[in-house]
Amino acid sequence: MYKRIALIENPPINTCVGCRTCESACSFWHERAFNPEKSRIRVTRTEYGISYPITCRQCFKAPCVDACPTRAIHRNAETGVVLVSEGLCIGCGLCVERCPFGAIVLHPDKKVAIKCDLCGGTPACVKFCPERVLRHIDVNVAAQGRRRSWVESKVGGGA
Amino acid sequence: MALRYSGYVGKYLRVDLTSGKISEVHLEEQLTRLYLGGNGFGTKILWDEVPVGVDPFDPENRLIFSTGPLTGTVWPTAGRLEVIGKSPLTGIYGDANAGGHFAPELKFAGYDMIVFQGKSKKPVYLWVEDGRAELRDASHLWGKGTWEAERTIRKDHGDGGIKVAGIGQAGENRVRFAGIITSGRAAARTGLGAVMGSKNLKCVAARGTFDVGVAKDEFYDYAYEIHQQILANEYTPSTSRYGTLGLVNPMNEISRFPTKNFQRGDFPYANEISGEILEKKFLVRRVGCYACPISCGRTVAVRDGPYKGTYTEGVEYETINALGARTWNRDMASILKGDLLCDEYGIDSISTGGVIAFAMECFENGIISEGDTDGLKLEWGNPEIVLELIEKIAKREGIGNVLAEGVVRAAKKFGKGAEYYAMHIKGMEMSAQDPRSQQSYILAHITGTRGADHLKGFPCIDETGYVDAAVRRYGEQYLPEIVDGLSTKYKPMVVKDGEELGAVADSAIVCKFGTHFPPAYYWPELARGISLATGMQLGIAELKEIGERIYNLQRCFNVREGIGRRDDTQPRRILVESGTGRAKGHAAGPLQELMLDEYYELRRWDKKTGWPTRAKLEELGLKNVAEDMEKMGRLPARGKRRR
Repeated sequence: MYKRIALIENPPINTCVGCRTCESACSFWHERAFNPEKSRIRVTRTEYGISYPITCRQCFKAPCVDACPTRAIHRNAETGVVLVSEGLCIGCGLCVERCPFGAIVLHPDKKVAIKCDLCGGTPACVKFCPERVLRHIDVNVAAQGRRRSWVESKVGGGA
Repeated sequence: MALRYSGYVGKYLRVDLTSGKISEVHLEEQLTRLYLGGNGFGTKILWDEVPVGVDPFDPENRLIFSTGPLTGTVWPTAGRLEVIGKSPLTGIYGDANAGGHFAPELKFAGYDMIVFQGKSKKPVYLWVEDGRAELRDASHLWGKGTWEAERTIRKDHGDGGIKVAGIGQAGENRVRFAGIITSGRAAARTGLGAVMGSKNLKCVAARGTFDVGVAKDEFYDYAYEIHQQILANEYTPSTSRYGTLGLVNPMNEISRFPTKNFQRGDFPYANEISGEILEKKFLVRRVGCYACPISCGRTVAVRDGPYKGTYTEGVEYETINALGARTWNRDMASILKGDLLCDEYGIDSISTGGVIAFAMECFENGIISEGDTDGLKLEWGNPEIVLELIEKIAKREGIGNVLAEGVVRAAKKFGKGAEYYAMHIKGMEMSAQDPRSQQSYILAHITGTRGADHLKGFPCIDETGYVDAAVRRYGEQYLPEIVDGLSTKYKPMVVKDGEELGAVADSAIVCKFGTHFPPAYYWPELARGISLATGMQLGIAELKEIGERIYNLQRCFNVREGIGRRDDTQPRRILVESGTGRAKGHAAGPLQELMLDEYYELRRWDKKTGWPTRAKLEELGLKNVAEDMEKMGRLPARGKRRR
């Protein structure tokens, strides 16, 4: 199982509300300072008030890994987490260009690529998310939940 | 010298709009120790720098945008902005507070605060980015609504992360209750948007990549604990689900829901404008401010009918009441449209609804007629009239030009006894708590330092009787009266405590959602959180003293402008007319003076004049203030202490 950060919503009660608590917590966990520009998760809000958190999906065929000219980005075979070796990164930003989600960015001070590393196994964003919609989960397991709620809503949830 | 406390950036901006000069100032340690942040900073600067009797539209007035030591951290609700200035609506101390994401961005851009003075020759906006600030031409933004101005700035700079706080057409036109808006969230009250307009300042735009640091890493874990404490509070789920609109039905049931300009406290059609209806028919998505575990905001849309296409962020209990029950309007879609107009033009929806209801009652009683109203029939409950008047007020057209002055000035203009229908305290239109049904508000509205307002004392525990919260905060010995809305017993103590807690909350800065309602955390948690963030090691007593110091200085500012006990009063209607429902037979008249006596005594203010005493001011380290007050003849005579 490869766990990653997923968004599991239950509208209208639990949805991403754009509070950016995740950004704040993430930056402190990694940097010992509060700074959304150093967060590995970013909440995007549209002009119409729709919010959505974006972070690394730990892709199996990761465009950032392919893009990196110095092989600074690699995948941990055991956990599936895609990691950046800061010492190898030259800050060229190719990975930033190639990521289809905008989930990898350059650190404003260090000028190296930063991305979600799942906080070593207990992600700060998931811990803090007040709406409890951010989960650290294998997407196939999340799909089980989706299947169950769909069946319950369409077919009936029993007594 | 660099500030030794964390949490703060340690720098703020002084902007002289007359000369265009911008200077960077180091935050003095003394200011942080004595006044903490936001509201405290603003109060101190206003006291020191705004001359007595100065017209709020004079360039000498200050306009202060301030953050606090918790702003931008992960402390729950640490996203609020505090704006302070002398109010053009009331002529006394004025402040307003807005959520959203602007205040953290200002700190990330490198500043704790901005102090504006003077007046620009042409429209400008202040651009703040990563430790640099400059005034830029705003002539292309002048005349634009707040949403439109924000979008234009983001587009001009090509950065969607820019946060903007500014005024709409109402502020430009100096509507006396114009507010300052950031992405549909409003620092609305006391007309500071008009002060901004008088300075030709359209908005402040901020963008930053700097850190906000804290003294102890433990702060992070403690903040998490308080997040959980708020989430676990019994009143949080309904606040999250329905926002402040969750109050509509409960407050209507206890007849605390001002209706028809306070003729009554219950609206027979409250069900049609409730939080449940909003969710069922209009909700698009819930929306939260920075680092908030409650997220009372929402995006709503009108999908059919005459107001189809209305798309607005949030509608609050206060707006629902002001543009709804207060004017006998039961059309929810029109209220949402009105909310959007108030945000876009940048006016306070509370005062707007208040002044419209006032005009409707004057019309009903023949004080004004169609000759005065540009031919409009100001009938109760007509949504088209409400919306038309909002437009006219914001643009200062016809009757709108009179109403844009607020109820006190409009009543003077109308004459013929119109002042009886002007529901205000110290010149500010009343917010949506009928004090006859929740008697702590008989006091809280009149001792609020910015005029009639719920957000100073913000007593909640006697609303519908929050017994658990009352016991947690004050102990069991005050039950049952302390939670009884129809009892005045112990309420002066509760109001005073709320005012000081509120002053600290507005300085830290955190939302009163958490400290006041839901009553999830209190002095001990605030003291520990602020200490861990700043490294100050503040005890509860010391923090309370900061709150008391701020509140006393605000009072002194008002006393210096001529305020005294005679101004601490409810409108005559509330004093002499009975409430309705559970408040039937309850007028505030017989109770108000007794509560005031007890309150002044607790505050050690002089009972005859309502002025703070030398003893109290000196105890709070405000000896210089006492000297100034004495020179002006506004210090109570010595030796007349109570026996």
